[in-house]
Amino acid sequence: MNAPGWLARGGLQRTLLAWLILPLLVLVPLSAAVVYRLAVRPALDGLDRALTDTAVALTGILVVRGGEVSLPLSEQTMHALRADLVDQVAFAVGNPRGDLLGGDETLLLQKPPLLPGQWLFFDTQLRGQAMRVAAYGADCGGTGQVCSILVAESLGKRQDAERAVALAALAAATMLAASLCLLSLLAVRRGLRPLQRASEEIASRSLQRLEPIAPDAVPHEAASFVHALNDLFARLRVAASAQRAFVEDAAHQLRTPLATLLVESSQLLSRPHAAELQPTLTRLHAAAERGAHLTQQLLTLARAEGARLEAGGPQADVDLAAIGLDAANEWLRPSLAANQDLGFDLQPARVWGQALLLREMMGNLVHNAIQHAGHDVRVTVRTRSDAHTVTVEVEDDGQGVPGDELDRVWDRFRRGSSAMGSGTGLGLAIVRDIARLHGGEASLHPGTAGRGVLARVTLPAAGATRGQAVNKLS
Amino acid sequence: MLILLVEDDEPLATATAAALEAQGWRVDISPRGEPVPLSLQRDDYDVLVLDIGLPGIDGIETLRRVRDQGLRLPVLMLTARDTLEERVHGLEVGADDYLVKPFSPVELVARLRALTRRHENRRAEVLSVGELRFDIKAMRARVRDEAIRLSARECVLLQYLMTKAGRVVPREQLFALMPGWNGATSDNALELLVSRLRAKVEPAQVRLRTVRGLGYLLEAVEEPAQGP
Repeated sequence: MNAPGWLARGGLQRTLLAWLILPLLVLVPLSAAVVYRLAVRPALDGLDRALTDTAVALTGILVVRGGEVSLPLSEQTMHALRADLVDQVAFAVGNPRGDLLGGDETLLLQKPPLLPGQWLFFDTQLRGQAMRVAAYGADCGGTGQVCSILVAESLGKRQDAERAVALAALAAATMLAASLCLLSLLAVRRGLRPLQRASEEIASRSLQRLEPIAPDAVPHEAASFVHALNDLFARLRVAASAQRAFVEDAAHQLRTPLATLLVESSQLLSRPHAAELQPTLTRLHAAAERGAHLTQQLLTLARAEGARLEAGGPQADVDLAAIGLDAANEWLRPSLAANQDLGFDLQPARVWGQALLLREMMGNLVHNAIQHAGHDVRVTVRTRSDAHTVTVEVEDDGQGVPGDELDRVWDRFRRGSSAMGSGTGLGLAIVRDIARLHGGEASLHPGTAGRGVLARVTLPAAGATRGQAVNKLS
Repeated sequence: MLILLVEDDEPLATATAAALEAQGWRVDISPRGEPVPLSLQRDDYDVLVLDIGLPGIDGIETLRRVRDQGLRLPVLMLTARDTLEERVHGLEVGADDYLVKPFSPVELVARLRALTRRHENRRAEVLSVGELRFDIKAMRARVRDEAIRLSARECVLLQYLMTKAGRVVPREQLFALMPGWNGATSDNALELLVSRLRAKVEPAQVRLRTVRGLGYLLEAVEEPAQGP
């Protein structure tokens, strides 16, 4: 049976994982961006503050004397102010009129209008290089006299800081994403495991195994579904046993009138009767025999179907050699009547299965050979086993079956082109059905001596695959 | 031979009775199981043919009541339900043989013959197959009135085969009769013994067949049966 789409193992798991993991693809980069933005700001502010330190130091050096402002800057101080491991540092100090007191003239040209005591920070280009600038309006002597102090620094440390923050944000986001993915995967797996078990249980159900699935083994969301399935199983079991009962009743009802027909027709034949009635009576009797045979075959077929449908059934450790020994008397009668040499080579051959069906299977093989091989032939019944396999063979050295018919004779109601007698065309179909029911296979081959037919059934041996055979049958 | 046939299906009972009467046997029919034990006590029936599916008490219960009364006559069960449990069950409760419907009257007659012969042989001091007689006490065999000279081993073999007449006797069972015999070398010895015995008994309307790979089968040569 087909599991509904949503229960298909891959399907549900894939859907859940898609819903959990696809949003992460958006959310994780987004969170990384937010983290970056939040973390990079204080780092850059810190660097700006370092620039203000230099500006403050320069302010301390300014000298206002008599309205004139000067910057007495020694070479060493200048050198110290410019010292930096990473970046190029430049500064410029201008008097309130805008004239350069010290430092870099080009930088001073970038001076924004400043109020006393005001700080400004901005990015600019200085001789083709990107720089960060801190500008300070220093109060120099008198009202409204503002000296401009600019300190510029190339962007090396800033870029380093940005890179470091970006890396940290990315690492954190990656770790978060990986652990979320892993957790989702685990959670989905774990959450779905009962459902997968139930799904496997359902898959392992077949018409042979229809026992209910325990509802407490699945999450309660799926319980109603399992209940519905269990109801279905129960109905199927009821239907199976109803079919079985019907077959049994049909057997009883059909067999008694057939027995009457058979007894009456053979009585008519054995009594003195008009010669012109002879062909009619013979045909009548043959029809009665064929009807009887056909009934038996149909019942066996139905019973094999029943065994397939019904859990359990009379299972046993059956020795096919013992069946051969037991049925030999029954098989000898028609064989002797056809003047055949029916022989046996019975080695122990134990299988796990239904004795009655296995007996019908062997009987059909033997009767098939007896009927089709012709008169004055040897028919040999063999049973043997190795560690894993039990083999039943019935071989004759009769007329054989044309090679192209070897496979088709297994079909129901198919009779070989050279078929004789009262065959129903069901015998070999039954053999194959019963063999498969027991986890085996039936095949037909040309006889070993180049004559006749070798019919072979292989079944799993009882000891080797007992568990398996039980599964198949119960 | 007097037969009690218990079968509720009237057409089948009539037809079967006619087939048995054609053998020169007398047949009484009972459609139900309840009166059977009493009938068996009142009349001296030789064999009981008992259908399992009967109205009222079924064939198995009927048989149980018959055996409970200590009646030992041979019983052949007829059944339309050939599931194994019923076969085993039927034989466990004391049936001697069974036939699954639909059966041919030839088969029924053959089974009844074998059954009564086995039954008689079990009690009798003289075993009988075809025209062959075997006196158990004297350990002597004869055809019609002519004695057959048999070795001690041939005697043991023949007696055993005659008690099992009509059925295949596996070689292993025959080895068990011969102290010290077993295995492959004894196969040839047994085959030799059997072929000597065969030559001696086959004139007596019996056939001693070799069933290849299995054993031997002693049976009466069935003539087209007419009369008792």
